Amino acid sequence: MGYGRYLYAELKKSARALPRMLLSAAALMLLTGGIAFGAARGMEREPLAVGADIGVVVREDNRMTRMALGYVENMESVAGFCRFLRVSEEAGMKMLADGELAALVLLPEALVEGIMDGRNPSVDVVFPENARLEALLFRELTEAGAGLLRVAQAQIYGAADTAARYGLEGQLSVMEAEIDGYNLAFALDRLSLYDEETVYATGRLSVAQYYAASGAVLFLLLAGMAAYPIMGPEPAALRRQLARAGVGGLWQSLCRWLCGFLYLLSLCGVAALVLWGAGLCAPEAAARLRELLWSGRNHASVWVCAGMVLLALAAVASFHRMIYSVSGSRTGGILLIFLLSAVSVYLSGGFVPSALLPRAVRAAGELLPTAYLIRACGGLLAGYGAETARCAVWLGVCTAVFEAAAYVLERNGDRA
Amino acid sequence: MIAAENIVSSYGRRKILRGASFTASRGECVGIVGANGCGKSTLLSILAGTLKPQGGTVVYGGRTVWRRAGRMRCDRETIRRMTGYVPQEDPLIPELTVYDNLRLWYPDRRALDAELAQGSLKLLGVGAFCRMRADKLSGGMKKRVSIGIAVAGDPPILLLDEPGAALDLACKEDIRGYLRAYLERKGTVVIATHEESELELCGRIYVMKDGVLRQADRGLRSGELVKLF
Repeated sequence: MGYGRYLYAELKKSARALPRMLLSAAALMLLTGGIAFGAARGMEREPLAVGADIGVVVREDNRMTRMALGYVENMESVAGFCRFLRVSEEAGMKMLADGELAALVLLPEALVEGIMDGRNPSVDVVFPENARLEALLFRELTEAGAGLLRVAQAQIYGAADTAARYGLEGQLSVMEAEIDGYNLAFALDRLSLYDEETVYATGRLSVAQYYAASGAVLFLLLAGMAAYPIMGPEPAALRRQLARAGVGGLWQSLCRWLCGFLYLLSLCGVAALVLWGAGLCAPEAAARLRELLWSGRNHASVWVCAGMVLLALAAVASFHRMIYSVSGSRTGGILLIFLLSAVSVYLSGGFVPSALLPRAVRAAGELLPTAYLIRACGGLLAGYGAETARCAVWLGVCTAVFEAAAYVLERNGDRA
Repeated sequence: MIAAENIVSSYGRRKILRGASFTASRGECVGIVGANGCGKSTLLSILAGTLKPQGGTVVYGGRTVWRRAGRMRCDRETIRRMTGYVPQEDPLIPELTVYDNLRLWYPDRRALDAELAQGSLKLLGVGAFCRMRADKLSGGMKKRVSIGIAVAGDPPILLLDEPGAALDLACKEDIRGYLRAYLERKGTVVIATHEESELELCGRIYVMKDGVLRQADRGLRSGELVKLF
């Protein structure tokens, strides 16, 4: 019996089973699409907020002090981040020790007057011993503010001394007004202190791209639940008869893997067609989706993208083959695929980005093939980085190892 | 035609065959009976080349197919050419039609169509349901197809492992009829069975007990045979 005849029979079987498998996969697509969409919305609704409670001890409560404090409280850069609480020194120290305050500001008596007459009384800021992120940010803020004040003071004194030396005391108020104008226009420009940059827990990918990639991986993994007829082991009697006829177990295994691979490929093709058709029906939604998913940063060549897709599908197909060989039954295989897919996608940061997972979980997830599958799919949207070769090699290794495991398990089953 | 000598086989530490020997000549049907789990299927698997024995020799038509030469050596090509094997479970791909299943084992479409029109498959009555999917077939239909697969290539030896199990009387009679015709064409049949009706075809009956084969009187009825198990 020829190898070709067996391959032909397997392909024919796959073609017959394909419509039913595609229907099952479509139901799965709706499910995983819903999960991915919900997760993405959840991420958007809950931004990470950082705020600091700052205690203020006012030793001399007069109108000038209140005005100065009100000015600082309402500065845009401070108001967005700090909440000032008036406390006594004793209560403030206790709250600082209890971790309720990020910092305690001690305002001296005659603060404003001292600034105006040049005595410059110092303002003490007390930080907790084990400063948290909020305290560190506030320290940066106060140091930056103090630096600005020092520069402004040097400018004022310099201008006064220069005016006195050249007999221009009458022009001093004009010069001070000009210095104030320059300070306000340039030195106090907040943007020079705080540069705005959006950082995603999802790495190079945006939230939408990340969940599109992990949703696609979850979908591909779960699609194996419908593929038992083509990827599950053949009846033992058939396998033995085939081996008797010269069609060895390795060829049988490779043929079934190829059928699984082609099934996943056709699934991707159908999904692409459906999306394209939906795009034609709703062009505005399609444009918005394109805007969300394609950042315009993807400069990877078509060949690299195609190669990564094929490698990802190969790895997923061999994963399904191995699971069905381990389980030995349809129901067991379906359950195992569901459980392993959900757990490994979670560990690899498919539901909650890895950066937000506990360190041990993150370390374990990094080793799983699903982490590389997510990177391979994400790269289609945002381009491939330096890890492309590593990702490709890892997916290739996974394909070989899973398929070898499936072959060995089936062969051992035949011997028993 | 068949000479099996001192076949030894074990699963782990459990010895199944402890030196089973028998012979069968051309046109003869040999029956092997014994209690469940005594090693009948193991012996047939070794004869069919799907299981490796730990010792012994098997000769088909003067050619040694299993022999010990340091380790057990097998002439798979001769086994493949000379034997057809009908295992207990049916070697069918459930999602394909009977025709597609048979197509897997016959060299080309023309040979298969000829067999369906006037050969073994016609005798087995497979043509009547060859467009049905294999998973829709009854047990009897599946067994007929299994025999049809085994005799693809017209082998001179047919090995059957409990072919009549769970089949209705009409189906058993059809299969017996086919086996009679096969024997008339000077084929050799080795049949492992519990069915008294199948033993009627046998020129010799061997009882397997404690891993060895003992020839029994052909005239014994099933009740008397059971006492020998």
